[in-house]
Amino acid sequence: MKIQDFGLDGTILQRILSIALAQGGDFADIYFQYNSSLSIKMEEDIIKNTSSSILLGVGIRVIDGIQTGYAYTSDVSYEKLVETARNASIIAKNKHNISLNTLQIKNKSKNIYDLNAPVINSDIDEQINLVKEAYNSAKKYDNRITKITSSLASSYDFITIANSEGLIITDERPQTRLMVAATAEDGQNKSTAIANNGGRAGMEFYKSVELPESIGKRASEEAIILLSAKDAPSGELPLVLGSEESGVMIHEAVGHPLEADGIWQKTSVMWNKYGETVANPNVTIYDDPTIPNYRGSLNVDDEGCDAENIMLIEKGKIVGFMNDYLSSKLLGHKRNGHGRRESFQSIPIPRMSNTVLMQGNYSPEEIIESTKYGIYAKSFQGGMVEGTGKFTFSLNLGYLIENGKLTAPIKNVTLIGMNLDILKNIEMVGNDMGFFLGTCGKQGQSVAVTSGTPTLKISKMTVGGINGSN
Amino acid sequence: MEATNYLDYNEEIINFALKNGASQIQIAHSICDDFEVEVRQGEIQQFNKAISKSMGMKILVDDRVASASTSDLRKEIVKNLVLSTIKRARYSEADPYARLADLERSNIDSNSLNIYDPKIEELSPDWKISQAKEMESIALSDNRITNSLGSQVSTSLSTIFLSNSNGFAGSFQASSISAGVFLQAGSGDELYEEGWWENRVALETLPQIDEIAKTAINRTTRLIGAKKIESQKLPVIFEPNIAAEILGFLSACVNGNNIYLNRSFLAGKLDSQIANPIINIIDDGLIPGGLGSRPFDSDGVPTRKTIVIENGILKSYLLGTYAARKLNMKSTGNASGITNFVLENGNNSQNDLIRRIDKGILITSTIGHGLNPTTGDISKGAAGMMIINGEIAYPVNEFTFSGNLQSILQNIIAIANDPIQNSQVITPSILVNELDISGK
Repeated sequence: MKIQDFGLDGTILQRILSIALAQGGDFADIYFQYNSSLSIKMEEDIIKNTSSSILLGVGIRVIDGIQTGYAYTSDVSYEKLVETARNASIIAKNKHNISLNTLQIKNKSKNIYDLNAPVINSDIDEQINLVKEAYNSAKKYDNRITKITSSLASSYDFITIANSEGLIITDERPQTRLMVAATAEDGQNKSTAIANNGGRAGMEFYKSVELPESIGKRASEEAIILLSAKDAPSGELPLVLGSEESGVMIHEAVGHPLEADGIWQKTSVMWNKYGETVANPNVTIYDDPTIPNYRGSLNVDDEGCDAENIMLIEKGKIVGFMNDYLSSKLLGHKRNGHGRRESFQSIPIPRMSNTVLMQGNYSPEEIIESTKYGIYAKSFQGGMVEGTGKFTFSLNLGYLIENGKLTAPIKNVTLIGMNLDILKNIEMVGNDMGFFLGTCGKQGQSVAVTSGTPTLKISKMTVGGINGSN
Repeated sequence: MEATNYLDYNEEIINFALKNGASQIQIAHSICDDFEVEVRQGEIQQFNKAISKSMGMKILVDDRVASASTSDLRKEIVKNLVLSTIKRARYSEADPYARLADLERSNIDSNSLNIYDPKIEELSPDWKISQAKEMESIALSDNRITNSLGSQVSTSLSTIFLSNSNGFAGSFQASSISAGVFLQAGSGDELYEEGWWENRVALETLPQIDEIAKTAINRTTRLIGAKKIESQKLPVIFEPNIAAEILGFLSACVNGNNIYLNRSFLAGKLDSQIANPIINIIDDGLIPGGLGSRPFDSDGVPTRKTIVIENGILKSYLLGTYAARKLNMKSTGNASGITNFVLENGNNSQNDLIRRIDKGILITSTIGHGLNPTTGDISKGAAGMMIINGEIAYPVNEFTFSGNLQSILQNIIAIANDPIQNSQVITPSILVNELDISGK
């Protein structure tokens, strides 16, 4: 695929960029997107629906000082692009007459996606088999499993970015995710659990990384455990975060506060803490878009900049921020390729990709054994953070820890804390590692991310359970 | 708005599909004209202006379903998409429940719904920018406010054209305008974040921006110095915006899709007493000027007024055609979800509720997830104001409230008369007798 298939070329984009900057402004860029996706859903023992979607459009951005003008169109004809460029330039007030560089095609320095056999291009029959294998495995796991939804969503995203600095670059990004929701009932209680896996990968993923059967089984296993789950206790308690999905905590407590827009705007509680020790020295955290085939990985970000692995916290000290074009310019930092957008309908803003807390020395067993009474976090619904550093995350399934052992399962509980307190309270870091696959929302835009952690112990955090339940 | 009549275009595509092997087809075209400006510290942080178009289709071939959507509306692309969707239908298994809704005659006049205000079309970008700037500058003029998280004004004009091969063809226009500002207060690492926004169908019903700014200031500054509290069971008042979150969760639990999949604690509870008898809730798609008012849902079924809870008894689920058939019931015109979901007012002011409490909390904001429709369990982070001896005493922060929606509904012992109108869930403040609070 190429932009020429849509009647566009470098000369036209160059002309549009000069129209975008005709009123003034320091910078302009064009984001062309053609995204095709297919999803398949099985429920109540039948393949109920297959659904395809085409998203075509162009977004044009003009930056003047700290102001951003943006406009987009799903009609990519020349006349509409001219109108769109003019709309984006409304904010530009000061004529700088900057000279436009001639567009030079830039090739990506790497490819970190598996572009062999993208799922969306493979036989629908083969894709349906994946959905059925996951469904059937969830169903046969236990006869208390009563309802299952198994769905496969895959897409192929073609983007071309051109900007007034002379860059023109193309990226093609596959994405796939197989998800199973299982509902269990035993006459008294019922429960629902979700399991999923996927990435910027091809069909091979479901053969070599995780089989569909395994995804289905995980959903049912958790739903069955939840049937006997109790309410969590209430109050400040020690917390052990299992490695499977606890990356959510790092994503909220550290990731968002170190996105560079909150830094230059001084709205993040960490804006003035560069070089300061904010976490226990056993904590090192980085954001790495270059992990091959991962859900949050990128060759280049949505501004065409090489996406780089960036160290955020080294041995407890803040050493970096994730930035986009505008925030790097305003802060005087080197760009590191973290400007992302949901689609051509949105402006790029600093975002995470794959956020990882580095392994430590303790075995998960040692960490659990060291806890006399507390909570163990197994699976998550998600989390949230505000600029003040107050954050929450919600467990779908956890366990009580009593005398160093996991005992009763507990359900649906939210934990709350301030990041600057909790980061200092990370007292043990495990030697294992697991990744949570998520879709992160910020300013109304959703992007694919992952976050990884080993097993962690936090000395205390507020657990939102039921008073007197334990 | 653009005058093109997509109903003719829809009809052409429907005929093309039927000729090429589709047994049934439904097409929805939507056109959105969106504007948004966000100002921060007096400068335009983001200015976004666009018209976007898209279409979606659902095709059945012998009860096998396939669907598709595209933002590329060139006719040859759309026709190819129709053909490939017809082909793809054979991969689904026969699902007779999925047939299009039977044609239901409707006498709803979409003009009488008052969901489109042409005055919003006339507003210039400069006017909207100046409103956002002024709202922020009023908010920042209070010296307790230390930073702005952004002041926004946005407008949205949309037109929907829905047609299907059962003979339905309908269209309507809807508008909305919203304005809001979010702020920070506090010093050092002790920061507090809050704000306020309003959202309406029509310009003249939108509160003035100085009012919005003052509400935002008050909501933010009253949190300054908030403390953590001990874990305990306490009576709680949910302010209308938070009560709307709780009722929004209830609306998911009465949604037919969660009922037929048994993913709601309210499945099988029709006609039983699920709430305190003072609770009356309706879903009404025909309220003039309502943000959720629509002449028909995404199945082409007319919307209506449905009594959901009457005197605490669950009277109806909210059903689209598919869920209704699965449950052997009739559609309530809720294929697109809730319309206007309304909790009937009580006779008290919010102050009356506060005066009834010796020790409790007025919850003013929440953070995070922690809602489970299958079980009805709720656990959310929150901030608010401590109530002591019937009066607001001091701010509290960094706590959670937890419970089960079924017991919360039973324990709503008083309802105020102060609903807000900025979302599709409309509810006044409510007093819950006892709730689990976790803090220190």
